[in-house]
Amino acid sequence: MIQFINTVLIGLTSGAIYSLMAMAIVLVWRSTRVINFAQAGLALASAYIGYQVVQSINNYWVALIVAMFAGAGLSALIEIAFMRILLKHTSSGPIASVAPIIATLGLLGIIKASIAMIWGGQDVVVKPPLSNIGFSIGTHTLVFSPMKLAIVISVAILVIAFSLIFQKTNIGLALRASAYAPEIARLAGVKVDLVRTLGWALSGAAGAVAGLLLTSNGNGSFSPESMEFSLLLISGFIAAVIGGLESLVGAVIGALVLGLVTSFVLMYISGSLFFIAPFVVLLLVLFIRPQGIIGSKAGRRA
Amino acid sequence: MHKLSNKKRIGIFLLLGVAIYFLSGAVDELRVYQGASVAVFVVGISSIILLTGYSGQVSLGQGALLGVGGYAAALLRIHYNAPIWICFSVAIIAAAIAGALLGLAAARLSGPYLAGTTLALAVGLPSIANQFGFLGGEQGLLFDVGFPPLSLGKDFTQYKWFFWIASLATLLAIFWLQNVMRSRYGRSWKAVRGNDVAAELAGINLTRNKTLAFTLSAGLAGLSGALLAMTIGTVSPSAFPLSLSFSLLTGAVLSGVTTLGGVIIGAVTLVAIPEIAGAVASRLGSSEAVTNNLPGLLVSALLILTVLFVPNGPVEQLRIRREHRVKQ
Repeated sequence: MIQFINTVLIGLTSGAIYSLMAMAIVLVWRSTRVINFAQAGLALASAYIGYQVVQSINNYWVALIVAMFAGAGLSALIEIAFMRILLKHTSSGPIASVAPIIATLGLLGIIKASIAMIWGGQDVVVKPPLSNIGFSIGTHTLVFSPMKLAIVISVAILVIAFSLIFQKTNIGLALRASAYAPEIARLAGVKVDLVRTLGWALSGAAGAVAGLLLTSNGNGSFSPESMEFSLLLISGFIAAVIGGLESLVGAVIGALVLGLVTSFVLMYISGSLFFIAPFVVLLLVLFIRPQGIIGSKAGRRA
Repeated sequence: MHKLSNKKRIGIFLLLGVAIYFLSGAVDELRVYQGASVAVFVVGISSIILLTGYSGQVSLGQGALLGVGGYAAALLRIHYNAPIWICFSVAIIAAAIAGALLGLAAARLSGPYLAGTTLALAVGLPSIANQFGFLGGEQGLLFDVGFPPLSLGKDFTQYKWFFWIASLATLLAIFWLQNVMRSRYGRSWKAVRGNDVAAELAGINLTRNKTLAFTLSAGLAGLSGALLAMTIGTVSPSAFPLSLSFSLLTGAVLSGVTTLGGVIIGAVTLVAIPEIAGAVASRLGSSEAVTNNLPGLLVSALLILTVLFVPNGPVEQLRIRREHRVKQ
């Protein structure tokens, strides 16, 4: 029983982190119809920016907020200085469908190499600000620790903030309109290009928080070669696909489902199948419900 | 692609073979080893060109298929001490079977979905080696093709032997691939790439075509993986990392994904860049962190520049320019 509770709690924590990455992927997909594989690099960059801030002022939560804004800025910069030009250049020809994928992979390479040049290739540590020793109930000790609780709360705050932006503000309305029908939105006076950049910025913010929280879910050490960030990208992508790739709500649900599934594989079957489990989940989803759990109609609303 | 008669083509390949033979005697050990690496990359990159250029599907997980080929060859060598050419053939078949399964799934997916799925495979598959004991875990397995035959002389080195095997396999693979491209299937892939709806109306079965492209491409990837395993002497999860998949895709883009003609460009670039970057870094006297990561930076920058300015690859770009000049 205690193992079951632990498994669920671990799954929900990692699912929470995946959900930020899934939201990041959905936001970019909705605004530019591109899967941004450089998202893994942005998450890594934000973890290093967080590391730098913690080094100088020794406050994790300030670092998390700085990383969030830095991630938003970086992501917006990539959209303005790079993606716009690229998508104009490669809008036709045999490579048109492949070009955005390849370009974001190239960006990923540049970001990773630059980080390794600046900070070196060895591990750095951002000490998790709260204890990673689990709460105890009576004689049992859970794996759920104050740090994990803080992660879940941070993610929840961000998700609520995002859904408020989307549902209650004019910016959110413009974002939804541009994603649903860019031409009509433009005619109605929405600055679609600006809104697109904003979509990328929000995505960068979500991805950045995911990156730094990811390191604190473990022992806090990471390097440019850490597999965790690739896995984070893939989990985010898979979660987004489970949710139908269009819907933010779907992305969060998909992430929680994926987090639970991988956690059960990890605890009940085998640790070394942990990496292949997301792939299997993805294949199952694509074969059984290619439109995602939420489906495309609901996607337009969220 | 310009059409040569089969006789001429065979002649050219024989000439290439002879040229490689003399080349291997004329250069030093390091270059011979690099030559073998180029051959490995040529096969790996052409597997991507077949898939992406000719059938319009993107695989970010080609490295995983190389891994399947490498492990199949190594297992056969260790347990049955099979001759190397059988090991290589089985590597091709094993990877092709894996590719066919993947292709069945891939035919239902398009663009970003397929890219994400293959990426998930590339991250996931190597960890299987840790799950099953007979795959040797993190250390992997040895793959030893044995010493060069004594008849080649005493000072015939191991690296030269690798280079010969890899070159021969590469020449055969490219010759075969050219034949496939000129066949019914090659033409129908081109039709699908041009306009899939029109191709389907003309009676081409899209699913079967895409699955076939995936299968053949995976076979080539398997051969490349077995050759790679030969040159490094082992197979292990770290021999087939995610970055290998990205390198192959980069090489394919640099070569031009739409034609096989430039495949050597990408392969040579991938092998040469670390050396060039090393020379540049030592000239500038830069720190270790910069030196180690300059190749990655250069390759990625080249990738982006190519996509922006020569999206069809250098060879195709030259051809287009020549045609323009002729018209004027």
